[in-house]
Order: sequence, then C-alpha cells, then structure tokens
Amino acid sequence: MALRDNAIVGFAETRIVEKSDRDVWELGAEILETLLDRTGFEKGEIDGLILSSSMTGAGNCFWSQATADQLALEVDFCQTVDIGGCSPVGAVARACAAIDAGLCTTVLCLFADTQSAETNQRLRHFQAEWTLPLGLMGPPAAFGFISNRYEHQFGLDYSMLGKLAVAQRNHALLNDNACEKLRKPITIDDYLKSRMIADPVRLLDSVMVCDGASGIIVTSRKNAARKGLNKIVTPIGYGERTTYRASEAIVDVTETGHMVAGQRAFAQAGLSPSDIASFHPYDDFIIAILLQMEMLGFCKHGQGCNFIRERSFAIDGDLPLNTGGGQISAGQCGLAGGGTNLIEAVRQLFGEGGARQVANTRNALVTGIGGIPYARNWNSSVVMILTPEG
Amino acid sequence: MTMINDTLDVAREAPKSRSFSKPFWDATREKKLLLQYDPVVGKFQFFPRATSIYTGRRNLEWRESAGVGAIHSFTIARRARPPFQGKEPFFIAVITLDEGVNVMGNMVDCALDEMKIGLRVKPYWSPLPDGTHLLMFTPQR
Repeated sequence: MALRDNAIVGFAETRIVEKSDRDVWELGAEILETLLDRTGFEKGEIDGLILSSSMTGAGNCFWSQATADQLALEVDFCQTVDIGGCSPVGAVARACAAIDAGLCTTVLCLFADTQSAETNQRLRHFQAEWTLPLGLMGPPAAFGFISNRYEHQFGLDYSMLGKLAVAQRNHALLNDNACEKLRKPITIDDYLKSRMIADPVRLLDSVMVCDGASGIIVTSRKNAARKGLNKIVTPIGYGERTTYRASEAIVDVTETGHMVAGQRAFAQAGLSPSDIASFHPYDDFIIAILLQMEMLGFCKHGQGCNFIRERSFAIDGDLPLNTGGGQISAGQCGLAGGGTNLIEAVRQLFGEGGARQVANTRNALVTGIGGIPYARNWNSSVVMILTPEG
Repeated sequence: MTMINDTLDVAREAPKSRSFSKPFWDATREKKLLLQYDPVVGKFQFFPRATSIYTGRRNLEWRESAGVGAIHSFTIARRARPPFQGKEPFFIAVITLDEGVNVMGNMVDCALDEMKIGLRVKPYWSPLPDGTHLLMFTPQR
C-alpha cells in the first residue's frame, strides 16, 4: 500500500467570484453533484469526507461534521485539514493515507470558502499580542520583509517577478472560472507601476480574496478499475513540512520548508525538477513562486531571477506555470484557494485544459503554502507530484 | 521624498498578555526589555513562549536586554486598519537584537533614506493606556 495505489478520479470547480451570493454549502453541493455526474459514483458510495480550511467554516469547530450533515453524506472518516493554504493538497495525501489504512474507500475532498462574503475567523494567535499593536495587516507585510531580505541577500530584478505575473494573467484570460475582474491583460510595466501595498510588495504581487469551491474524489486504484474509471490521476510523490526550523531563533526567510518537502516528493516519485511538465505552485504573492522554484531545485538558491529570465512559462513554454492563472490572477477562494492550483494540475493531466491545454501531460507538480508566522517565512509547505498513469 | 510616520499618535489598546508572557509586559512598565533565556543551550528566544524552542523544556529564565540591534528587514505599510488607518505610510521592521533574536517594531524618527538593512537601532518605549509600554525602535546615532 502506498500513495500511488490511490487515484483522483474526478475534479470539479465553481466559478470564482467576489462576495458570493450563494452560501458556502450551496457551493459544496455544486461540487458534490458535479463529481457524482462525472465519476458515476452514487452518493452512498462516498464513505470519507475531508475538508480544507475555510474562513467561513472557521465559525464552527464541528465544520466537517456539519458539512457532512448538510450534504447528507454518511461517512466512516470525517475531518477538516487546518494547515491553511496547504490544506487542499494535504487533504489528498490524507485521503490516500485513510484509504491505505482501510478506514474508508472513496473520499470526497471538498475545498469551499466564501471568505469575502462571510468570514468567521477568530484567530487565537501570536498576532494580537505581537503584531497587531504594530499596525501589521498580515500577509503583505510578511512578504514585504521576505522581499527586502531576498533583495539584500541576492539582488532582485522586479521585472522578473512581473514576467511571472504577466504569464499567469495571460492564463487567467483563458479560464472561464477565473474572477471576471481579473481577466484583463497586464504588462510587466503595469506590474512595476502598480501601487505599493507593503513595500516592495505591489498590488499586482498580491492575491485578491474571493469566494469559490473545488473538489476531487479519491479512491483506490483497484476501486477505480472496478468502476471502469480509466481516466485517473495518481499522486506519486508527496512531502509536507510545518514550522520549518522551529528550533532556531532566527531563520533565513528566503529558505522554506519546500526544500525538504520537495526533496521527499521528488525521491518518492523518482523524478527530478527537470522532468516536471507543468508547475502549479501556490501563489499568494508572486515572490512565493520564485522562492519555490529555488527550494524545489528548478534552480539554485538565489538564482531565481536568472532562471525566470531564461524560461517561458506560457502554455506552450518550457515550464507552463499555473495554467489557469493561479490564485493571483484567478482569485483566492479564501483558505480553499490551494484547490485552485491543485484542480488545474488535475485538469491538465485529464487532458481537459481546452484552450489552455499543455502538450506535455506526463506529470504535474502542485504545492501549498499555509500560515504566516512571526518574522519567519511561512508555517506549512506541501509538495505533490501527480501523473496521469497508474 | 515620502514622509514616513512614526505611529506615536495612534490610539493603541494595551495587548492582553498570556500566563507565560506576563513578565515581559510587566517589565515594560519600567521600560525594561526582558527576553526568555534557555540556560541549557545558552540561547535567547522571542516572542515569549511557554516552552524553550530549543529543548521543549520549560526551564526558561528572564534576562534583561539593552534592546540594541540591527535592522534585519523591513516593510512600509501603505494600508492599515483602524486605529492605524490614516497614519500610513509607516515602517514595520524586523530587528536582530544583539542577543540573537528577531523582534518586530515600528520606527520612530527614521527617514526613508536612512532605513536600510543593517542600520543600528535602539529601543524607544511608547506608552500604552494601562501603564505598560510598546517596544519601538529608533536609529542609534
């Protein structure tokens, strides 16, 4: 039994909108219905439910139970994964582990958040004591520290960050589910001239909080075969690290847990970065993509700008990047936002990319980033490598 | 040149301390900076925690720090929520104290062109309504 004995047999995604007038459970119901239609599973065959973190769901400490009840799912395994932006990809790994352990056979992984319409977060955190008294608004400031530190250590060509922003925006133009407000072309000059939010983090570096849902069904490959589901995506490598270098007082914020998570994922998959056919990194801020390129070994630490300069990230480029626009150009569905990167990777491997279908579907790499700590990088890092084969 | 505000006139509330961070806040009444120190490994840590980040044990001591160090990184907040709204732009800096910990703080009397990574700073204590003080920093000139 292993990760790769399991398969993603279907995916679903709602449109991403600002201030949804549809309830988070209505979005969840849309995902459930779409997945039943696409896989042929009956509702009663789903015996596991794993939810991502959700700012809307944060008001209920019985979130997974309450959602199982709303969707009338009778399950043998029920949980919420609470590692923020890592939770959708983390949910896939946990679904595989639960299936391998014999706890259940067919898991609905549901990523639903309507943070812009209804946020219920009340964080018990260091922030009230240590950062709110400084007027710190959260993620943009944290990425401001990271960016200035990166520039100090390695130099930072902001036009290269702009190149990534433009590539992702071009992809959102081809994505009907992307937030309408963001589906306008941008240039590197637009990026460089966009207003500062938390220097040197600009508006076009940043995600816009939106509402939406996505989901997948995970089952054993044996069960998928029994059901005649031959269009499958298999996770072949996974790594996860929370609180990287927790036992050190000062850490280099340009180094992240993706280094160790990536090494583990690549080793399991038997692949190296140059084998990766399309790259779907979690993108809350553009510089996070650069850092992940370095940590995953696409290039050396500190060499990200040179790597970006020499590559094309278009659909038909050397390394297609977040081919649906990523969260920065499609909108961030709150803490379910990691589902956007994941679903796009699965869509590409299913060959259902339409106008944005990549040619090389041998594999895809998807990541997550979760949580902003005090004067560090980020709390959780996950890396998953997917293939369309068994 | 961009004017950078010092946030001294922001009407802040005093943060609520936790059982294990209370000594830190109590000491700020006398404008003293206390850091947690793990005598087993001989290292400091910040922010205050209920456990040593080094060993997972609770044998921590409080030691007074001069609060002197150098800018590790910084950002300029251009947007803020109340009571900071309207006080933008202002600095939020990460300072590496000489004891080997990173502490975050606002900057007082620091011009935009003076701010840089490596700039030496010293503490500036801003009064809070309950008699405690908030740790800020100012360039050491």
